[in-house]
Amino acid sequence: MSLEDLPYAADAEAPLSSEELNVLRRQYEREEGDVTTQTKFNYAWGLIKSRKKNEQQLGVRLLAEIFRESPERRRECLYYLALGHFKLGEYTHARYYNSELLQREPNNLQAKSLKNLIEDKLNKEGLVGAMIMSGVVGAIAIGGLYIASLFKDRRK
Amino acid sequence: MAQAFDEYHATLKILLIGNSNVGKSSLLLRFTEDTFLPTDDVSATIGVDFKVVDTVVNGKRYKLTIWDTAGQERFRTLTSSYYRGVQGVILVYDVSKRESFDQLDSWFGELNTYCSSKDVVKMIVGNKVDKEHSRVITRKEAEAYARKMQTLFIECSAKTRVGVKEAFDELVTKIIETPSLWQKKERQPDNINVSRSAQTKQENSACC
Repeated sequence: MSLEDLPYAADAEAPLSSEELNVLRRQYEREEGDVTTQTKFNYAWGLIKSRKKNEQQLGVRLLAEIFRESPERRRECLYYLALGHFKLGEYTHARYYNSELLQREPNNLQAKSLKNLIEDKLNKEGLVGAMIMSGVVGAIAIGGLYIASLFKDRRK
Repeated sequence: MAQAFDEYHATLKILLIGNSNVGKSSLLLRFTEDTFLPTDDVSATIGVDFKVVDTVVNGKRYKLTIWDTAGQERFRTLTSSYYRGVQGVILVYDVSKRESFDQLDSWFGELNTYCSSKDVVKMIVGNKVDKEHSRVITRKEAEAYARKMQTLFIECSAKTRVGVKEAFDELVTKIIETPSLWQKKERQPDNINVSRSAQTKQENSACC
């Protein structure tokens, strides 16, 4: 028996069917004006799991609202905010919310596992960034040499 | 998840359900990493947790995807969607908590609502047998209930590791003995039920 090396955000990656999401959306819309926290949370959770970026963004927005309005829901909001930003590719935001959760619950295994995923993405991004930067620096250097050689040519 | 799927004889989906604090996550942690966290260090599961495990049964490799659901009521709407495509369900209770055993009935109710296949392998697991001194559910009583519900039954302790591996092995073996569960993919209905969290009438959520 062995465990795969990296944890996997399987929950966030498995979208609901559109019918399932519609059930949650209709419930949310029906309560418009006086939406219960539970209904809002359920809908936000469904949105986060979606593959569509605009739905993920709406999910993150709703979670941020619940975080402000319902202190007793903060731990799950932090977790799903981290997951939501992770899916949106906003890894520094994801790290922020996840580390807030870890600060409150240092042994939370779900948050620990998500942390590994986020760090992995951030490392990869950092590496790509460094490669681009070194590429840019290299191009400037080559360009500089070329311009310098033009001046040299002119002076001849 | 970079591994090739064909390395596995089959991929099996297993769900852990039961009241909060019965030790579902601890069972999973013992099974997957052979560790145990002191009660004070354990956080209640948020929504659902997920683990992938390789296991070998009768010389064949199986990939187990295990979904560890939150026991708290406020996550019930969410967790109902995880029954889709499931082949095995472990219903956990705490041998020292009468309530967690009595509520197995309602967990069976949920299971039967959301699982379309009658073949899904069910197993009742009585956890925390290390607390023998505060036990309130006898093995005999639980065995009788399991017989009535026609499910597998085992007692275990995530703390001492007694019975944990046996529970998962027995469940997997039983799933493998039920080819209809994993040899063809059947279409499962959508599972979202908002009626638990909202008083308004439930609309077109799934049923079997």
